[in-house]
Amino acid sequence: MSEFLVGYLSNQSNHEDPPRECDVLIIGGGLLGTSLAYYLAKEGTDVTLIEREEINREASGTNAGSFHFQIALHQLTPNMTNSEKERLASEVRLQVDAAKLWDNLEQELDADLGVHFDGGIMVAETEEEMGVLRDKDEIEKSAGLESHILTGDEMRAFAPYLAPDLAGISFCPREGHANPLLVGPTYAYRAAERGVRFRTDCGAESIEVLTGEKHRFKVTTNKGVIKANRVVNAAGAWTGELAAQLGLKLPMGLSGLHVNVTEPREYFLKSMVQHIGRRLTLKQTHNNTFIIGGGWPSRPEPYPKRYSNIWNSTSGNLAVALRVLPMLKDVKLIRTWSGVWAYTLDFKPILGESERIPGYHVAMVPTGFTLGPMVAQMLSEYMTAPKGSVKLPEEFRVDREVA
Amino acid sequence: MKSVTGNDLVVIGGGPAGIAAAATASSLGLRVALIDERVTLGGQIFKRVGPGFDLRERKSLGKDYARGSDLIDEIDRPNVTVLTSTTVLTIEDGKVITSHAEEGIRALDYRFLIIAPGAYDRPVAFPGWTLPGVMTAGAVQTMVKTQRISPGKKIFFAGSGPLALAFSAQLIGLGAPVFRVIESAPFPSPVNALRLLSRIGGNLDLIRDAAKYRSVLLKARVPFKYGRIIVKAEGEGRLEYVTHAKADREWNPIPGTEVREACDALCVGYGFFPSHELFRLVDCAFEYDENRGGFSVIKDEWGATSVDSVFAVGDGTGVTGSYSAVAQGRLAGLQIASRLKKITEEERDSTAKPYARELRARNRFQSALNKMFDVGAGIYRLADSKTVICRCESVTRGAIDPIIDSTDDVSVVKGISRAGMGLCQGRNCQRHIAAMIADRHQKPISSVSFQTPRFPVKPVEIGAIADDSVREEKYFIT
Repeated sequence: MSEFLVGYLSNQSNHEDPPRECDVLIIGGGLLGTSLAYYLAKEGTDVTLIEREEINREASGTNAGSFHFQIALHQLTPNMTNSEKERLASEVRLQVDAAKLWDNLEQELDADLGVHFDGGIMVAETEEEMGVLRDKDEIEKSAGLESHILTGDEMRAFAPYLAPDLAGISFCPREGHANPLLVGPTYAYRAAERGVRFRTDCGAESIEVLTGEKHRFKVTTNKGVIKANRVVNAAGAWTGELAAQLGLKLPMGLSGLHVNVTEPREYFLKSMVQHIGRRLTLKQTHNNTFIIGGGWPSRPEPYPKRYSNIWNSTSGNLAVALRVLPMLKDVKLIRTWSGVWAYTLDFKPILGESERIPGYHVAMVPTGFTLGPMVAQMLSEYMTAPKGSVKLPEEFRVDREVA
Repeated sequence: MKSVTGNDLVVIGGGPAGIAAAATASSLGLRVALIDERVTLGGQIFKRVGPGFDLRERKSLGKDYARGSDLIDEIDRPNVTVLTSTTVLTIEDGKVITSHAEEGIRALDYRFLIIAPGAYDRPVAFPGWTLPGVMTAGAVQTMVKTQRISPGKKIFFAGSGPLALAFSAQLIGLGAPVFRVIESAPFPSPVNALRLLSRIGGNLDLIRDAAKYRSVLLKARVPFKYGRIIVKAEGEGRLEYVTHAKADREWNPIPGTEVREACDALCVGYGFFPSHELFRLVDCAFEYDENRGGFSVIKDEWGATSVDSVFAVGDGTGVTGSYSAVAQGRLAGLQIASRLKKITEEERDSTAKPYARELRARNRFQSALNKMFDVGAGIYRLADSKTVICRCESVTRGAIDPIIDSTDDVSVVKGISRAGMGLCQGRNCQRHIAAMIADRHQKPISSVSFQTPRFPVKPVEIGAIADDSVREEKYFIT
């Protein structure tokens, strides 16, 4: 299953010096960068991608690989207004499109990416949470995302492993997951086949805008200078830092996320389980281990150190997990890990070309695994179409200001 | 989570080094908490007999048992709290977080912390090493010492270093039927033997011990051969045969010299790895020293690490044996007492003198010994493509080799193959994989970096650590 990953890694040219010039220079070898490289190359664009470490190493490879098509709980509140509901519905429609992309991706890349659609459960503990769950269900249905509400005996028959006294659940059959270790590298492998030059251990140290020259940008790396017509900042958690070099202030923030992994147990939990009112994502992998997370914090550390884990995140997160799945009580926790989550202040992607610095593009999306390939495809369409013929959504604008 | 507060010193690890540290520090008036995950103190070498045994004749258990008893008696003081059956899960913000079956999760604060985690058997992957009947020396020793159970009726001992001799002699002494002992290192060269002899001062007891062990083997007519290494274990469902062969200087088996013998237990003792998980978790600086067991924590003559108020003692900082461990523990205890103004620096120095002298002598001797039994790279080449390298996740060498062809990064190998993701948390395979990477990419093993340290340091049940009183912050927008 890892032939593309190993195939990508064994490409010796990855370690060569970068070319002196190119049309599009992508900075960052995460899922966004690699998928964008693929879609651009498919349209015949000349692309070089630089990555300061190795591709797929940060959030793209360390996330849990879940597709979050249901509305994220941090977006939901009791008693939402109609305009809030409409805003959420527009996001769900984006998610429905992403689901279609994931549906076809293994065929598109002709590779096993571990894509499964086993559904997602969202639980509500209290009647108040149940109200929010019903609102969410209504919005999702209106946006074309299939969803079911189950309570009482119906819920207990459908998911007998859940705590029997939960107020109720919603079930979204379209949710699922893919293997985060395979998706990015497979995109990279297929992009390299189409001529994209990948250069790893190659970090962008500074970016200058040139005037009166053939190329618009001069990017200095630890392995030499690259001149490019267009630059795409796809640096994940470091997107904001990189954009600040050219004076752009992106509406984004960073948060360390904590993840727990257990020993394997007999497989029984097909669907991912989330909680509408508390921080929990819980699923059983195909290796039979349980991955338990859901947004508990980890501690920021200066690069290149990895964010460190916090004990309270483990003990609190696992208490929520046991409240929902009491039968996990005697399962052993083996490992924890932590990754950096980059989010935007309005939870919308930052996608497109800067109006202030023409030729400078940004690709950043808070639910990067779920939506990354799709927004990459959107950006590729924008970048390869004749100027002005393809428009990206107004609310994704790079130069927007968020209060 | 309960808090255990007011500790001047927390010592993690109740082996020779940890107990000695606790003894010295507590004798100078410090409030000490000593943590060990086993039911009784003593660590590996001073291991007590298991619960349920009635000890009638202490002498019959040998000198080390008595040394252990004396040391343990020293910490019988009101200002020492001993927490046995207690596992350290992590160290965070000046607190040691532990788990205990009945007491639950406890957080111990400290002004100073001594980490004395000990070492574990070097895992060696060769064809058949996962068969029932194949055990590491430490496991066999635990079985024999605490439970009085012999692992087999015909025990083959394969290993290297002074402990290979000591272990097998001890096993014979305790009535376990060892029938052959092989040592991978060549017969000591004159240079090595002379170096050892020149450093004999302060180590006569060890030489006497070695002679005694050798005579135990001779008396029991157990052949002891230098320059041979284990090659293969075979059997239907459990161990039935072992194959061993002559080893070259690098410990590669020499074809054509194989001997196959029937046996029902194979005891493997090719030295130890220091347990450095806790040092890494608190971010101590490391150096690479093959003779101390590879990556070793950097410490000064008192055991102070690069992290303020954290000390490192015993075999977990590089394997030098129990005498050295006790001296290290005493010195750390003295230094901490002096830092806490319980004694003056002059008092510290005068009390420290004999321990420092002993430590120097032991270390000089130990480094000569280590040169003699230098682990050869061949030990990492015994596995064939079907041999399991990661036994938790059943990952074979055949599955790992092609990944290593394309990367020299331990984390990538782990991510793709799942080797190192199981219950042993990589203790059995990570070092082996690092050695495979070093071998394949022709670089020193010291340049192959660690995986990122993460808690829990030992696996722990979810139900034991879940804490409903911890509440998450509300999400970013409401």
